[in-house]
Amino acid sequence: MTSGTLTPPSTKDDDLSALPVVPARHPWRWVGVAFVLVLAAQFVHGLVTNPAWDWPTFARYFTAQSILTAVGTTIVLTVAGTALGFALGIVVAVLRMSKSPFLSAVGWTYIWAFRSIPLIVQLLFWFNISYLYQRLSLGIPFGPEFVSFETISLISPMGAAILGLALHQAAYAAEIVRSGVISVDRGQLEAAAALGIPRLRQFRRIVLPQAMRSILPNAANEVISLFKGTSVVSVMAIGELFYQVQVIYGRNARVVALLMVATVWYIILTTLLSIGQHHVERYFARGDRR
Amino acid sequence: MIEVLGVHKSFGSLEVLRGVSLDVAAGEVVVVLGPSGSGKSTLLRTINHLEKVDRGYITIDGDLIGYRRRGGKLHELKEREILKQRRDIGFVFQNFNLFPHLTALENVAEVAGLADARHFLERVGLADKADAYPRQLSGGQQQRVAIARALATRPKVVLFDEPTSALDPELVGEVLDVLRDLARSGTTMVVVTHEIGFAREVADRIVFMDEGVIVEEGPPADVLDHPVHERTRAFLSKVLS
Repeated sequence: MTSGTLTPPSTKDDDLSALPVVPARHPWRWVGVAFVLVLAAQFVHGLVTNPAWDWPTFARYFTAQSILTAVGTTIVLTVAGTALGFALGIVVAVLRMSKSPFLSAVGWTYIWAFRSIPLIVQLLFWFNISYLYQRLSLGIPFGPEFVSFETISLISPMGAAILGLALHQAAYAAEIVRSGVISVDRGQLEAAAALGIPRLRQFRRIVLPQAMRSILPNAANEVISLFKGTSVVSVMAIGELFYQVQVIYGRNARVVALLMVATVWYIILTTLLSIGQHHVERYFARGDRR
Repeated sequence: MIEVLGVHKSFGSLEVLRGVSLDVAAGEVVVVLGPSGSGKSTLLRTINHLEKVDRGYITIDGDLIGYRRRGGKLHELKEREILKQRRDIGFVFQNFNLFPHLTALENVAEVAGLADARHFLERVGLADKADAYPRQLSGGQQQRVAIARALATRPKVVLFDEPTSALDPELVGEVLDVLRDLARSGTTMVVVTHEIGFAREVADRIVFMDEGVIVEEGPPADVLDHPVHERTRAFLSKVLS
């Protein structure tokens, strides 16, 4: 090459593909990692060395029979509240989306009413329903009665709790189901209609499976929130997890250790729910894989 | 087979169909041409009652679509009865509208037995794709599954709403081959399309629509080569150039 002439870089002369590639470096990421690690180490150190956490008490109660029974009650409340809540929620969503203005108004009113009343207030109402109506009876409206029950024997505190949770949950579930159904492409309904598929089958086979994809993340949120929300039921003196730890620390004053017992159980069960969510979502994403 | 008489349809203040009448004989292939917005698709959608007509009526094989005549009045049918009527009318959409969460076979089997479903998939040449989900198929293959699904209720007529308009050019041919095959086997078909070559080759009759009315109709050779009406000539000179 003669000196004095400027030679522009040419891909013909230099073979670029022969040059090694140096990846971009991100030094600040490492600073961030170090910072977070130090904080985490401090936190763990505190958990281990600070005697106020009272781990021996935690260990004694974590798998105690009374706590396990309470965990069981919490799970029952969650499962029953979710199952009944979503079953009723689907019905309310269908009402709300009905072409009939009357049915649509019924659905709207339900959602409006149960979203307006705080859960704790509603639960206390159900708990005290027997003050309001001592007897419930079946018969002709304003006419003779055929059978009648003592309200207090028909609706136990546990029954009142499940009823309250389910009715509350149904209002939210209805809106989640509705949002999922709205998200399904109109063309899908047209295709189903053009094929003459009956209405109920359209909903069950075509709309709902597709709606599930956007329903599921929201529904999982609701289930987890209901699961922790069951602690509200402690106001009704039902032996669920939070009520039980309150009873125990009321007796022995080991507040922190027992709150940790409840916390760890809530974390374990929420983790299991999240894992379940992942698998269910993957099932409904079939057809989305290439 | 299909009788459309004096059909009017408006969306708000826009009158899309302004008195359309059309007879289609059994086994006949009618291709509907016309500029966009001329009401072709709307006409097709009124035939299977996806759109309700404002005035006029439609019969298939003598059955009034969407209504029952009783005591000098037309009674609107319940949705259940309309859905039943639609099983006599196959409909193929521009955007296929396959059910994405079901395999090709399940899509067809949604309206037929498994054996029938396999038979119809084979008929459109996709027996080997039975277990593929729509997303795993090309546009042309998806449309062929949609055609198999439309045939699966064994309809008396099949309506095609721009079946190749959403396809890449190289995939149009395979779908038109299926249509050609159906036409040869004597299926009664109404096809809205922009494929003039296909229309010339396959149509028994071409209907040219503009601004909500049928401007002219006749055998392909007449309408395409010697159009009588000025609007037909203007349209053809645009699409053929």
